[in-house]
Amino acid sequence: MTAFRLHHLLWLVPLLVVLVFLPSFTTTFITYLLSLICIYVIVALGINILTGYTGQMSVGHAGFLAIGAYTSARLITDLGAPFWVGMLVAGLASGIVGFLLGIPALRLSGAYLSTATLGFGLAVEQILQNMDSVSGGRAGLSVPKPSLAGFVLDDRSYFYFVLAVTIVMSLLALSILRSSVGRAFIALRDSEIAAQAMGISLARYKTLAFTMSAFYTGIAGALFASLVRFLAPENFNMWLSIDFLTMIVIGGLASVLGSVIGGIFMVTVPYVLGELQDLSFILMGAALLVVLLFMPGGISAFLSRLLDLVTGRTTAKDIEQHVAKPMGQLGRLPEQSQSANAPASGTDLLGVKES
Amino acid sequence: MIAQQMVSGLAAGSLYALTALGLVLIFKNTDVVNFAQGDFGMVAAFVALMAISQFKVPFVLATLVAIVTTAILAVVVDRLTIRPMKNASMLSLMIATLGVYMILHGVAGAIWGRDTKAFPSPLPSDPVSVNGVVIGQGHLWILAFGFIISAVLFVFFRYTTAGLAMRATAEDRMAARLMGVNVSRIFALTWGVSGALAAVAGILLAPLVYLSPNMMSDVLVKAYAAAVLGGFGSLPGAIVGGLFIGVAENLAGEFISTELRTTFAFVLIVVVLAVRPTGVFGRRIQAKV
Amino acid sequence: MLKLSDVETSYGKIKALKGVSMEVPERSIVALLGANGAGKTTVLRTISGVVHPLNGTIELWGKRIDRVPAERIVGMGVAHVPEGRHVFAGLSVLENLKMGAYGRKDKSNIKGDLDRVTDYFPILGKRRSQPAGTLSGGEQQMLAISRALMARPKLLLLDEPSLGIAPKVITEIFSIIRTINVEEKTTILLVEQNAFLALAIAHYGATCSKLETSCFQAQLRSSSRVTR
Repeated sequence: MTAFRLHHLLWLVPLLVVLVFLPSFTTTFITYLLSLICIYVIVALGINILTGYTGQMSVGHAGFLAIGAYTSARLITDLGAPFWVGMLVAGLASGIVGFLLGIPALRLSGAYLSTATLGFGLAVEQILQNMDSVSGGRAGLSVPKPSLAGFVLDDRSYFYFVLAVTIVMSLLALSILRSSVGRAFIALRDSEIAAQAMGISLARYKTLAFTMSAFYTGIAGALFASLVRFLAPENFNMWLSIDFLTMIVIGGLASVLGSVIGGIFMVTVPYVLGELQDLSFILMGAALLVVLLFMPGGISAFLSRLLDLVTGRTTAKDIEQHVAKPMGQLGRLPEQSQSANAPASGTDLLGVKES
Repeated sequence: MIAQQMVSGLAAGSLYALTALGLVLIFKNTDVVNFAQGDFGMVAAFVALMAISQFKVPFVLATLVAIVTTAILAVVVDRLTIRPMKNASMLSLMIATLGVYMILHGVAGAIWGRDTKAFPSPLPSDPVSVNGVVIGQGHLWILAFGFIISAVLFVFFRYTTAGLAMRATAEDRMAARLMGVNVSRIFALTWGVSGALAAVAGILLAPLVYLSPNMMSDVLVKAYAAAVLGGFGSLPGAIVGGLFIGVAENLAGEFISTELRTTFAFVLIVVVLAVRPTGVFGRRIQAKV
Repeated sequence: MLKLSDVETSYGKIKALKGVSMEVPERSIVALLGANGAGKTTVLRTISGVVHPLNGTIELWGKRIDRVPAERIVGMGVAHVPEGRHVFAGLSVLENLKMGAYGRKDKSNIKGDLDRVTDYFPILGKRRSQPAGTLSGGEQQMLAISRALMARPKLLLLDEPSLGIAPKVITEIFSIIRTINVEEKTTILLVEQNAFLALAIAHYGATCSKLETSCFQAQLRSSSRVTR
């Protein structure tokens, strides 16, 4: 699922064409949604680097988004910094926080790590609520319209800017993840012990994954701030973090295409359902379970297989095999599934027990 | 003042501990970190409220109905979502319970609405004064029930065959099967007991807050932290962790800042985890290769 | 008493046994020998229902047991002491022994059996309230055997009881295995890498070989029944 295959272009090219021309024909609200989709895609890329590729679960990415958003907003409003400078600094600031969070996270995994990230997200929200000098207190924080080189961007041109950033970030993610760095991430995800035995530095790559992931989300935060142009701390709550996690699972873990699909899904579905908030919750939850149980690799992998079927690469039977097999292989090698009857716990390397 | 904060901290801590106990039980026995644990409690509170206000069921009976319903709900959740993914990684299982969490949230919102509702409690709730310390009776009830349930659990795991079998299964699933333990039944029992624990926590919390689909979110987050602090796998650890967080956040609220109490609680946890990555009571994790 | 006919077992796509046939006569000790990876452990795991065979039959007193799940096999009189002991580390010695009697209906006799079992291994009596994880390897093996005995099995499957245990303790454990066979009239199927040790107490020997992963069985000379 990792490799970028040529036929992905079959999906991406029409998608891009639609994205480029759609704003010309639709309302500013649709343009707004399209920009939001792009921002979500960048977040999805970021969280996928950490969770999908490196196998570290984060339930606190709304915190990184908030750091990016407030950094950029404050730079623009207080220091009159150009918008693009605000964005880059936002990415860096968030990246540094990600690096710092990555250090205690080095020794943590599973439930412990998700608690630490959950706490991080909650803490950012709460600190912002109590730092009026940053968040503007009750009144919230207004962000001016973004401008580039002296020109104030209208909704449509801002969308094109966001789209350009998204494309750059996607290509950047693709090239990094296909390099030795990406392979190191995957190796760590599949077995920390084996990866370390091969000489992959756990400390280096885990903190790198945190930093990269936070950088992406910080950039997205800056874009978000200038899109919504009004920030309130409670918008960056735990639910947002959960939405982020949900979208990459539904789109497809460890997949750039999956990030794109996840971003589209997470923005469109709640919008289409509008006031039916409860139905949106139920659908999201159900989608999550359906993907986990029946669609290993998420929608992106499903579509790839469907495309393979159409182009005659595989037979219907192959698809059936893939789809029917209850999943549960997120971040695992397929061979491990056969150990159903092996001793579930208590046995480890060399039969040595630590206690 | 300190004594007062301690008592309300212990009361809040008891709720965290009850929820954390359910989390730890499920994790120990089935390797699942259950995000839906808090929402089991939320469902229980709504079921009890519905029984009382719509069907005029007496309070105690309504409570029992709610507990049993929630226990069954938990077993069904296990059967429908967790069991079919038996070879899944921990990450997938966690995310699956997140899906359950969302569904329960949406269903509760759809059935019972998003506007908050008050929960009638027959237990007296006026504050009483003990040696000059003013204590809400609601808090005392929570403490009392928290204590009783911990004691019941202790006896169950220590002295009953089913409790022993649950512990054995948590230790070594294959060996337990070789002893004749039906592991599938133990899983159902685990989820059922955890659901019941969540139900008790939800119903105890209900009179103190307004009922809404979100009512347990804060408790879940703290319970989660309590479980982690206690080593995610130790039942006494979950209790101590819950009480500790309850007291710590109340004291932090008193002496440092009310608004930042959650933040302080979590900073504390991250510090603890940085020193002991598997919590205070945790055993070292065995790497499965 | 126990009869395996052309048993084939696989883990996923990897075939572990290709047509094993063997018989275990009542009240005997049968030693199953063979190199690492020959499938000895799989034979025991297949008998006790931890894995199910793809083909072939396993009969216990003429009754097919090859589709019975592990948790029900023990109730039919087969107790399995798995390789690596698998004691419940966090449970006390006494609780481990109680777990051994988990499936029994005759709860009233359990107390007496606890005493009888600890007579074989007195050290377990001394350590009864200690967590099993704190025992030495040899003591854990004794506990694993005693725990299996608590089920009052007719057939005891022992997997590598000498693995990772001090030589002196091994001798003790093996002489007690023989005592159990004589006093409790328990049939024993013993998997062992240490052939000398196993044949010293066995009535029959069987070998597993990688080549065919099938077992050949032969009655041993009577002299080999001498212990020590």
